[in-house]
This record gives sequence, C-alpha cells and structure tokens, in this order.
Amino acid sequence: MVNVVITGIGAISAAGADLSETLATFEKGRARAGALSLFETSLTYPVFEVKNLRRKARGDEMRSISLALCAVEEALTDAELSSGLSRFRVGVCLGTTVASQLNDMDFYRAYRSGKPMSMRSVDRYLKGNLAEAVGRAIGLRGPSLTVVNACSSGADAIGVALSWLRDGVCDIAIAGGADELNIVPLCGFGALGILSDSICAPFDRDRKGLNLGEGAGVLVLESEEIARKRGKPSLLQLSGYGSAADAFHLTAPIPDGSGLESALEKAMSEAGIHAGDVCFVNAHGTATPDNDKIEGSVFRRIFGSEIKFLSSKGFVGHTLGAAGGLEAAFTAAALREGWIPGSAGFAQQDEEILLSPVRETTPITGRFAVSTSLAFGGNNAAIVMSRGSVDASGAQNRGDA
Amino acid sequence: MNVTGAGAVFARGRGIGSLEDALREGWTAPSRKPVASSPGEMIPVYSVEEKTIIDKAVLKKMRRADRFSKMAVLAAWDAVKDGGIEIGEGGARLGIILATAFGPQVTAFRFLDEIIDHGDASVSPTLFSHSVHNAAASYVASALGNHGPTLTVTQFGLSFHQALILARAWIREGRCEHVLVGSVEECGTVMEHICSKKLEIAEDGKIRPFAFSPSPSAVPGEGSVFLLLSREDRGKKYCELRGVFLDDESAEADPDLRILDADGMSEDETRYQEIAGQDVLIGGYSPLFGSMLTGSAFHCAAAAVMLKNQTLYACPVRDNPHDARVCASTEQKNLERIQCVSYSCRDERAVIELSR
Repeated sequence: MVNVVITGIGAISAAGADLSETLATFEKGRARAGALSLFETSLTYPVFEVKNLRRKARGDEMRSISLALCAVEEALTDAELSSGLSRFRVGVCLGTTVASQLNDMDFYRAYRSGKPMSMRSVDRYLKGNLAEAVGRAIGLRGPSLTVVNACSSGADAIGVALSWLRDGVCDIAIAGGADELNIVPLCGFGALGILSDSICAPFDRDRKGLNLGEGAGVLVLESEEIARKRGKPSLLQLSGYGSAADAFHLTAPIPDGSGLESALEKAMSEAGIHAGDVCFVNAHGTATPDNDKIEGSVFRRIFGSEIKFLSSKGFVGHTLGAAGGLEAAFTAAALREGWIPGSAGFAQQDEEILLSPVRETTPITGRFAVSTSLAFGGNNAAIVMSRGSVDASGAQNRGDA
Repeated sequence: MNVTGAGAVFARGRGIGSLEDALREGWTAPSRKPVASSPGEMIPVYSVEEKTIIDKAVLKKMRRADRFSKMAVLAAWDAVKDGGIEIGEGGARLGIILATAFGPQVTAFRFLDEIIDHGDASVSPTLFSHSVHNAAASYVASALGNHGPTLTVTQFGLSFHQALILARAWIREGRCEHVLVGSVEECGTVMEHICSKKLEIAEDGKIRPFAFSPSPSAVPGEGSVFLLLSREDRGKKYCELRGVFLDDESAEADPDLRILDADGMSEDETRYQEIAGQDVLIGGYSPLFGSMLTGSAFHCAAAAVMLKNQTLYACPVRDNPHDARVCASTEQKNLERIQCVSYSCRDERAVIELSR
C-alpha cells in the first residue's frame, strides 16, 4: 500500500492567521471569541470570527474561498510547492457547508419581491464551488471534489485524498476544509438550541453548547515516494481513515456511540495500530451536551481513562465544514512540535463522562495521534496520523508500534 | 468493478424498469410550469410527480423528509434491492456516495423564508436540518440500516464522475465490498426562475443533444439515480465499469456507442461535434429525464440497461443538422462497450466507459 506523508500544513481561524500565530495562541491559552461583525442579526451568541483576513478577495470571491486559499497557500509554502505544481497531478478535496449553498439573503429577498433583479449572486455561487474554485485559482491539473458531509466534511475530505493517493488518482493532494460564518447556520443552530451564549467549554460539566467559528485547515499530502524524489521527505504520515454512519437520526448522535467507535476502529486498523499506541486524541468536542458525553464515553471505552485528549473548539469555535481540516492541521502540528495545548474552556469534569481533557500545554512523546469528527446525519470520521523518522536514504521509518 | 444494481426516480416514474420503458417508448412532452417570478411565463420541466415518491413501507421512518431526500432514498433502495444484497448486521460492507450539484435548495430557500418571515430567532430547526446537503445520504443510510462510509459530494461539473472514481478507490483499497453511487437534483420554483434567466430554454420541451449549438437549449429536470457497484460479478451484473477518464487521459477508442451528456446545461456544446465526427454511433437520452448537471448518472444507468439487454435504443429526439451517426432505431445488437462523454462548464472532458 502507498504510504502517504504530510508535507505541508496551513491553518487560518480566529486563533491565528497562520499556523505559527495559531500555535502562539494555543500556548497562551486564550480564546478570541466575541460579537459577530460580518453581518447583521438579532442573535447575540459569541462567535470566533477571523479578523483582518489577509488575503483580499479577488472580485466577487466568496469568503470561504478566501479562507481556503490562505490555508492552501501556507500549506503549499510549507511543502515547498509554491511553484512547480504543474509537474504533478495535484488533486484538491475540500469540505465545506456554507460554500455549497446559495444562502444569499439579498438575492432571495429580491426574488421574493418579484422585481427585476441582478443574477450576480447566482453567478458568484456558480463560480464558488470550493474545490473547483481553489483548483482554478492555483492552476491545478488533477481531480477536484467538494465534500459536503456537514461537520465531518473536512476530515472526510482528507480521507478522500488518502484514497486518491493510494489508488493513483493523483500524485499530490491538497485536502481539508473551509467555512465562513453565515446567517443560515447561526439561525439553524440557534433554533436547535445548541448555541452557547457564553464562551464554549468542551467536555466541561457546565457546558452549554457550541460557538460558531470560521476558518480553513489544509494538509498537503503525497506519496512517500514522490516526496522523497522531490527532496521533501516528511516525518509525518497520514496512516489511516475510518468512516461510519450511525443510521440513527438526522441531528442527534446514536447514544451508545457505536458509529464513532466503528470509525475509530477502522482508522486504527487501517493504520495497523491498537488503541494503546495512540498518544493523544484531538476530539471533535463541540461543547454540546450530547456530543461531548458520547465522544468522552467512547474515548474512555476505547483508550482508557489515561488518554490525553483535547478539543480546540475553545480556541476556534465550531467551524463546521472546516473543523475536520483545522483539527487535522492542529494534530499534525502537535505531532511535529511535540506538544498539545490545554483544552480551552474546560474547568470541571462531568460525572457522566468521567474523563478530563488536558488543561495545560502538555508534551507528547508517542508516535500516533487521532482526530475525530462527528456530524449531522450521523456521520463519524476518524483520522490516524503518525510521526516517524527518516533514515539515511530518505525512506521513512514508520515507527510501527 | 461491476454494476450489479440500479434504481431511478425521474419524470417518467420510479425503478430501473421505468427507465427501460422510457428508453423503449421514446420522447414525451414535459410538463409546463408557471415561472413564479414572471406572471404569465411558462417553462417546460421534467418534474417528478408526487405519486412517484409515495412509498409508505420504505419511507415509513422519514415522515419529515423533503422531496430531495425521498427521491434519493427510493432510487437507492431500489438499486440495493435490484442488486440483491443484504445490508445490516453481518451483511455486505456497503459505502454510499451521493453526488449533487445544487443540494436540497428547495428546503434551503424555505429556511430563508423562515428567517425573512419570522426573524432570526424563530426559525424551524427541522427545516434547517433538512437544508444541509448530506441529509439525503443520511436518510439513505437509515433506510437501508447501513453503517458504512456515507459521503455527499458536490461539484457543478463532473461530480458523478468524481463519485465513481472514489467508489472505485474504496472498493480497490478494501474499504467496501459494494458502493452505492448516485445523484439527486430537485427543481423548485427558485431554480426554475434561475434556469429561465441563465439558460436557453427549449420552448417546445425538446432537448436537442445533436444540435452542437453554441447556445444550446435546456429543459430543467429533476430526479435521482443510483448504481450499485460491486467488486464481484455476483452473477447479476448489468455491466462492468471499465474506467472514468478525465481530460488528458484517454479511453479506449471506438466503442459501440458514445452517449453525449449534451443537455443544454453548458454555455456551448459545439465541442461535442468533434466526438460526433469520429464515425462512432452516438446517442443522447437527456430528453427522457431533463437537463441536470448530474445527468451523467442517468446516462450511465441507460448505458447499463443497454449492455444488460444487449439492445440499442433509438434516441428520443433525433434532430440531426450535422449529419452525425445518431442512433435512430431500437434494435438488438451485440454491444461490448459504451462510453458516456461529458464536458464540464470548464471545458474538462470526462468519459465513463462501461463494458459487457
């Protein structure tokens, strides 16, 4: 089987305009949530908004595309692929929610009014399919696919890229997710009663719900052979991906967590590891009562009570289709840096979970890490990453447990 | 990889038998609907009748599901039953990939109505949860009791092709034994308005796949089609999926039939003329189901039926101003290979090749 390595990481969110700024925020342990400024609403829930988006939108570019391109450009630079992409078949697979829908209130109000209207919003939407737009913007020659699996979209997009690379569909893949703050999910999650009116507190006993966020997280993935040939061997490997459906309910996870458990088992099996080999888990950890209870219970059942885990939602909010991409980027960065941040917002253990995330910056020494994502519709996704070593010939020692 | 089951919901009915009947019977006029935003203006639409998506047994647990989800569930359900596999505990390892261009936009616009009419804090959570793209695939998984990977993908061009490529990868890497790959689109009043403004509409209701026009005419359609792809032949196969070839990759030359996805959804269809000039028999069956960005899925199902039945079906609308070799009669024929050819709005070419 083709070994797939991670050669580039890019991230933008309320925690930072790039990965180094994000890691600095993580070290400080301070969240940057606040009032929404991007559009008008009567809802006052705090959000994690990206301020001063450094990339100026080109023409009528959707905000999600701008966010994605920030992360993609950073990841390509990290992978030393800012130029020369045309030598390879490069695929792009990105997850999103907002960028897939024509949620343009001005367009829709004009339509309802029955008055003559501009089709500019429709044109913008038709040019705005996330993966197509990113592929076009950086002139890629390879497959493109936008995954719309709600909140697991980013993780699933990385799973798709893994399958592409193993099947020889492309040589290099840019994968992750991007999403912007938008009135529709804000109202929708509000109606579902799962937004918190204070800063979110994943896994905490008194958690009240999630805060929406926005951003993009992207990995550059390639076969180990291609990376070595172009002089960019990597210690980081994407070792496994698992996906499973609850087949239970449109918005509620199955109470026994069997879907998540199945996704985790598939991902670890594919990576050839056991639960005891995992040094930390980057949880979905939305801070909703249901998600954290089920996720925590599954972690305890599979990994035991000593597992180190965190949720980064306390730093970036719930970025929906971007979440799996951002969390994969954070997981890869943690393996590279050798530490994970404290889980922002957590204070007291929940007796129904009986497991606590790490509270402060914590060194990690193992080789395997897991990132989990759960979504509307009962989708569950898990990714296994590993940190190996490169021998004198440039070949990676997988560091199998 | 083998096509071992198929299901469809479209303007002419439900089930792969309905598609077969439509192929045999030929063109019928689409319904005409008033354009809500333009009083007096009518638009031809290949609409799915409400009676087509009533099935109390299959849909019993999805009372709240919208039309988009119901069409997908029924087509997927029929494909699995047609394939004869058992799902659930101890059953086949099945993956689901659903491709859509526009998603459940009818429900999404209903949710925008809620925001406008009732305010940000007084909207329906049910409408919101059904407005997300993956609601339909989730209902498919629930209806089948399937716990395998379930993915929804969206592109404006070639999303069904990308879904097939991924399905093949999932089967090859052992992630699944079978993958249910399909498409679903719904045409509501807002989409009809958009179509009336953005597309040339064929006022007589006839899509002309062989006009190769720089400004082709469309007739909006809706529906869902699913194919069950399996690693093994299983003795009841429609055909084999030989490959999906994109852009500079080349499919094998000279199949028995090339089906063109020329349905008026792209700005310019002159590029299809090059294919028509290659002395290969060509077909186009979009006049049976309408113009859709994921219409390739229907063409793929039609090709599977032809290979299974070893029958060429006459094209439903055969206007042929360029004297192309258009399939003009229905006849039994020894069919080995059929290609379905698409050009996306970005001028990317994609070929799906199916063989006996």
